[in-house]
Amino acid sequence: MTSPHEGPQEAPIVPPPPGTIADTFREVLPDVEFTATQGTGDVILIIGRADVPRVLQLAKDDPRLDLKYLRCLLGIDHMEAGIEVVYQLYSFTHKHGVTIKTRLPADDLHVASAAPVWKGADWLERETAEMFGIVFDGHPNPVPLLLPEDMTDHHPLRKDNPFAQVEEWQGSRLGPEAAKLGHIPAGYESIAGESGEESSE
Amino acid sequence: MTATDQERDLETLDIHVNVGPQHPATHGVFRMVLTVSGEKVVGVVPHIGYMHRGAEKLSETMDYRQGIIYQDRTEYLAQFNAEHCYCLAIEKLGGIEVPERAEYIRVILAELNRITSHYMFVGAFATDIGVYGTAFTYAFREREYIQEIFEAVSGDRMMYGYFRPGGVVWDVTQDFKDRVRWVCKQTRVGIDDLDRLLTTNEIFLTRCRDIGAISLEDAVDYGLSGPMLRACGLPHDLRRVEPYSIYDRFDFDIPTGTNGDVYDRYLVRMEEMRQSVRIVEQAIEQMPDGPIMPEKAPRRLRLPPGEVYMRTENPRGEYGIYLVSKGGEKPYRLKIRSSCLSNLTALRQMVVGQYVADAVVILGSVDIVLGEVDR
Repeated sequence: MTSPHEGPQEAPIVPPPPGTIADTFREVLPDVEFTATQGTGDVILIIGRADVPRVLQLAKDDPRLDLKYLRCLLGIDHMEAGIEVVYQLYSFTHKHGVTIKTRLPADDLHVASAAPVWKGADWLERETAEMFGIVFDGHPNPVPLLLPEDMTDHHPLRKDNPFAQVEEWQGSRLGPEAAKLGHIPAGYESIAGESGEESSE
Repeated sequence: MTATDQERDLETLDIHVNVGPQHPATHGVFRMVLTVSGEKVVGVVPHIGYMHRGAEKLSETMDYRQGIIYQDRTEYLAQFNAEHCYCLAIEKLGGIEVPERAEYIRVILAELNRITSHYMFVGAFATDIGVYGTAFTYAFREREYIQEIFEAVSGDRMMYGYFRPGGVVWDVTQDFKDRVRWVCKQTRVGIDDLDRLLTTNEIFLTRCRDIGAISLEDAVDYGLSGPMLRACGLPHDLRRVEPYSIYDRFDFDIPTGTNGDVYDRYLVRMEEMRQSVRIVEQAIEQMPDGPIMPEKAPRRLRLPPGEVYMRTENPRGEYGIYLVSKGGEKPYRLKIRSSCLSNLTALRQMVVGQYVADAVVILGSVDIVLGEVDR
């Protein structure tokens, strides 16, 4: 077991056993390079960012894969190592699923949108975009989904956007210091700067 | 008057109708702006996020056990199901064995929770349709019998926090089996009562049939799940397709619809309640005695690095937890796959072209829980 004082660790790459969906992908896309690893449950394919539109389109259209169902789309922030975009796919005909991942460098967060492939990707990408600051190129309606429309400078799920200290938000010490830590909407700076009365709430 | 003047006189203006966020038909803080031309809806812009509390971000700052409470608050009508998914994700990643008795307790409670959630749907949905009060009262009377069991078991009426990674926090009450047996009998009667009240009611049928239909291809493309998907005719139930926990031990049917309209969604949910009763009845007879937590449960739970996507069949569809661990006692990233959010993406497809009055019915048939949509 790991010690809590150790830094973050990565899971090792374990090649999946033969006969899994990774082999089917190799068959369908012989010229695309990817790393396959056996995750806890599903097979994970790590592909390059440039291959994303082709791989996703073929994953849906090719009858051998037939991954018509986009279950889940999310981002994972690895700080300096970039941000991962994860697509969780499933096929109702073959009853198989796969996780496709691609990594975006931290200074260039662009990836092709999956919304033209799956209609359901629209909202999922809008949420991922606002939470991580990723730009999904070709998205039909790139506006925030859950967050306020003027909140474009903060991407809450990024690791460099930590919580303010609990006592600062709950107590009276909301102020310029807290504003540096968390997001205060435009026009509310003066309210956040006040102290005293609100601490009892 | 020339022809053009006449046309100008008859010309209609599209009107924007704002529904919500404070509106009884939106089942929470959901807002949609309907564009109507006469009585027909020609456009809809949904606005969500009023209840976004950052459950995913908050979970990253808490250790694995503390994160359970956010599952309750996310899916606040099927809390046991949400907790179940969260605990299963941790157990899968950590390789934690769950004792038999705990598995049975969890499945019984999760299935009873599915019934209470669907009772809530039937009551609220009938209110949307115009059966004001009557169905709601009966549904809530029946729901209360089950709610009492939850209260006795967990000590809470809403935010249970009863499941733990590895089992449950304490054992059920001594009269649990008798109470569950009685409630199963009562629930069958309760469902039949609601069935007689609504299912063949002329007004109910007129308001429901052929409204908000969606094709199977579109349903799959939008990522719909649960009763919404099964109403389109696809018997996809994760309890059967990818059996988790001990669901492979029970005999139950997967109800499906044919048209994918509002009425089919209602019928699928009604039948699902009966199937849940069947599962509970089997589980309560099989439930063994024994421990409810693994014998060597660690005081501080630490998971090895890795990631897992755990999904369970919740009342509203596929509820998923994508859990990333980099060692240590807190999740590195926790994504909640919300079935309601995905079901809601198809709202435009279902509402545009229908009457304004039906928009409310269609939204009701999605059975949204805004806590889960916004997280």
